[in-house]
Amino acid sequence: MQADPALLALQGVGHSFGGLSVLRSVTFDVPAGEIVGLIGPNGSGKTTLFNIVSGYIRPLVGNILYRGTPFGRETIQQRSHAGLVRTFQTPQVFEKMTVLENVMAGCCKLTRTSLLQDLFRTPTARGQLREIREQAEAACERFQLAGMRDVPAASLTAGQRRILEIARAVVGKPSLLLLDEPSSGLNGQEIENLREWIVRLNADDGMTVLLVSHDMGLMTVANMVHTLYFGEIIASGDMTAIQRHPKVREVYLGV
Amino acid sequence: MRSNLVWLTLGLIVWAALPFIVPRSTADLLVFTGIYAIAGLGIGLLLGQCGIVNLAQATFYGLGAYGSAYCTVTLGLPSAVGFVVGAVLSMVLAYVIGRPILRLTGYFLALGTLALSAIASALFFEWDWLTGGTLGIGGIPKLELFGFALDRPSRYYFFVWILAFGCMALARNLVDSRTGLMLRAMRDSSTAAASLSIDLQSLRTRIFVLCALFGSLAGSLFAHHASFVSVQSFTVDRSINFLLIPVVGGATSIPGVVAGALFVTFLPELLSKLGDFHQILFGLALVAVVVALPDGLMGAFSRLRGMIAARRSGNAG
Amino acid sequence: MTLTLVVQAILAGVTNGIVYALVGMGLAAIFKGSRVINAMQGEFAVIGAMTTVLLLTKLQWPYAAAIAAGAGVGALLGAGIELAFVRYMMRKNATEDSFLLLTIGLALTLSASVLYFIGRDGHLLPPLGGEGVFLIFDAVIQIHAVWLIAIGLAATLLLRAFYHRTHIGLSMMAASIDADGAATTGIDVGRMRTFTFVLGGLLGALGGILVTPLIGVDYQLGLNLTLKGFAAAVLGGLTNPLGAVIGGITLGLVESLAIIGVSSSYKDVIAYSVLIVIMILMPQGILGRAGRRGG
Repeated sequence: MQADPALLALQGVGHSFGGLSVLRSVTFDVPAGEIVGLIGPNGSGKTTLFNIVSGYIRPLVGNILYRGTPFGRETIQQRSHAGLVRTFQTPQVFEKMTVLENVMAGCCKLTRTSLLQDLFRTPTARGQLREIREQAEAACERFQLAGMRDVPAASLTAGQRRILEIARAVVGKPSLLLLDEPSSGLNGQEIENLREWIVRLNADDGMTVLLVSHDMGLMTVANMVHTLYFGEIIASGDMTAIQRHPKVREVYLGV
Repeated sequence: MRSNLVWLTLGLIVWAALPFIVPRSTADLLVFTGIYAIAGLGIGLLLGQCGIVNLAQATFYGLGAYGSAYCTVTLGLPSAVGFVVGAVLSMVLAYVIGRPILRLTGYFLALGTLALSAIASALFFEWDWLTGGTLGIGGIPKLELFGFALDRPSRYYFFVWILAFGCMALARNLVDSRTGLMLRAMRDSSTAAASLSIDLQSLRTRIFVLCALFGSLAGSLFAHHASFVSVQSFTVDRSINFLLIPVVGGATSIPGVVAGALFVTFLPELLSKLGDFHQILFGLALVAVVVALPDGLMGAFSRLRGMIAARRSGNAG
Repeated sequence: MTLTLVVQAILAGVTNGIVYALVGMGLAAIFKGSRVINAMQGEFAVIGAMTTVLLLTKLQWPYAAAIAAGAGVGALLGAGIELAFVRYMMRKNATEDSFLLLTIGLALTLSASVLYFIGRDGHLLPPLGGEGVFLIFDAVIQIHAVWLIAIGLAATLLLRAFYHRTHIGLSMMAASIDADGAATTGIDVGRMRTFTFVLGGLLGALGGILVTPLIGVDYQLGLNLTLKGFAAAVLGGLTNPLGAVIGGITLGLVESLAIIGVSSSYKDVIAYSVLIVIMILMPQGILGRAGRRGG
């Protein structure tokens, strides 16, 4: 069987802010269908890496390859359209919109209507909206948000926001889901819930996941974990191997 | 549902009867209300759906008005041409200026639009070979619809208001559509909206152009109503007045635009005995609404309705 | 394009520029202290100047006292606005848009009040140092203009000393960088914010009073000065009030040099266009580091 190119590949990615070097020679693959983790203490450059991969920042050095081709000047929107969707460390829900509308917003990328069609409420526009609503309602059912459909997102708890953000990201049928510190602000039960969802999305939908976290417990969900320390990868492997790695122990535990 | 239909029918009957019941001067003002509602609608879309403060509407209102005036009076062309010329000019300008300026956000964008309105006002004044300056352009003919002259406020009233209702229907469609979803997403969190492949720049520009179109339409209607246009009508104050319409009425409410337009039209009239005092009250009204009624009148109204309903169900239960 | 013409333009540009700088410094100071863009900054200039005019002409006050009172009224107005409106809205966590609409509403109210109570006419103040002029390369500069520039630069230096050497000034800088952190060290953030508005009002009023002998003050001057002051502040980098001096002078020079070619009635159009262009191309200004990009 021929080895498929990795869904996402980072090659020698480096970046600095002002004089401060934040990432150095970061190279790793995210094979399709896998769950890959990025672990590291605060300030190790994880969020910067995410911003680079998703297109919010252009890296100073290095390449990001998606399905084998490099992202050159692809915008955030173009990358999202190509199937790469991210979540944010603090869940960025649309506060004044209802839960259902939030998820519907995630579906918008799947259809196209022009301003004129929407202004005049043409049959095409009505049909697209109906489709969006149906898909969003199905997603709400699936993610157990149906009871809160008409609640403004502003009233949700941190755990619920996180699930909403993921539901909204997933409904657009991405190939690669980037989760930035998804467990931040969540309590133990909510983290467990989150963990289940990641496993389920990967197993049932075949979704590839790149997960950033400093929570070692959550990280066990990944088959391959890379440890980032001050912008460099110092160890790779599964969680048990990582936890036994001398460099990691030195950095985290000082032993 | 039934009661809404009853209210709607009653409202329509009242609306249709008004120009025949009220004195001519009031009918005249009601025409203005319709015209302002159209202009304010565009601003409301930008404010309520996109969270953008647009202080440049007088520019497009002026382009529409001068377009109509120049084409009909100076060039002797049919009125429809005036409408189209004003609209095209406005949309092109909105696109050309909008693309760069809409990359700004927040204060910078608002002040940029304010600067734009100030520039336009100064140019309307300077280029008096085109606009007539303070002397203006007079003798703009009344509109004719299929040979039926719209020369009385009562007739023009129906023309303007049907157009206004049409624009409000379009706005309602927009708000309830996929585009409306994307606009509100962009308003609430542009970072997250981008991650969902929503093209922020393109959306903003399009709604800005749409807003300019509404402004131009209102301006052309104004020219044919007043028969005379001059620079005093297209100053920065006018832009602020247009902004006041959705702020007072409630930015996300489309019927609220009518409430806001009524406020902006009738208040100066009611206070006309006090001279220029009405501008002071406009300013204070803006301040009061911003401080006390962030959702405008419609917002306060729906909150009141909610409170009444809650109390009623509380009593029943 | 004679030398005289160019020198004349430069002199006019610097003079106007200092006025824009004063207005802009006040605006930047308020922004730095409260993150509010004061769209009524120009009205401080108008109200301050009008106060001086009224005290001088109606109540026959001595000029110096009238000037001081005018500046004082500007300062009081700033304090009043902060205490009456800004503080309340800050407590309710109002959005940036709301503050913008608030200051626009206040600007409209104030300029309409001036129109209503004082009328459409412009008013002048006597120039400092008399009606005399200096000649530089045959270009004319009024003695008052020289006073204006000197006072403006002195105000800048005083402001710098205030921010860097006085306790209140340092506290204001701290409160603007990190309100919560400042609060934990005992700084009364609310009072600091009131002081920034006082400062803004004072500087704005000073600018208005100084420019009135040259061009007169009327109810429409406010918007003009607000936009140009804002341009000066942005050019200098909004995060650094002292940069407004560079910004103001630059704007003034661009304005007066540009109208050598075209009619002077395009002066405002040019200044406002410069504002739009610099916001798009150089939002951090000539001096400032990349601060928040306009919202």
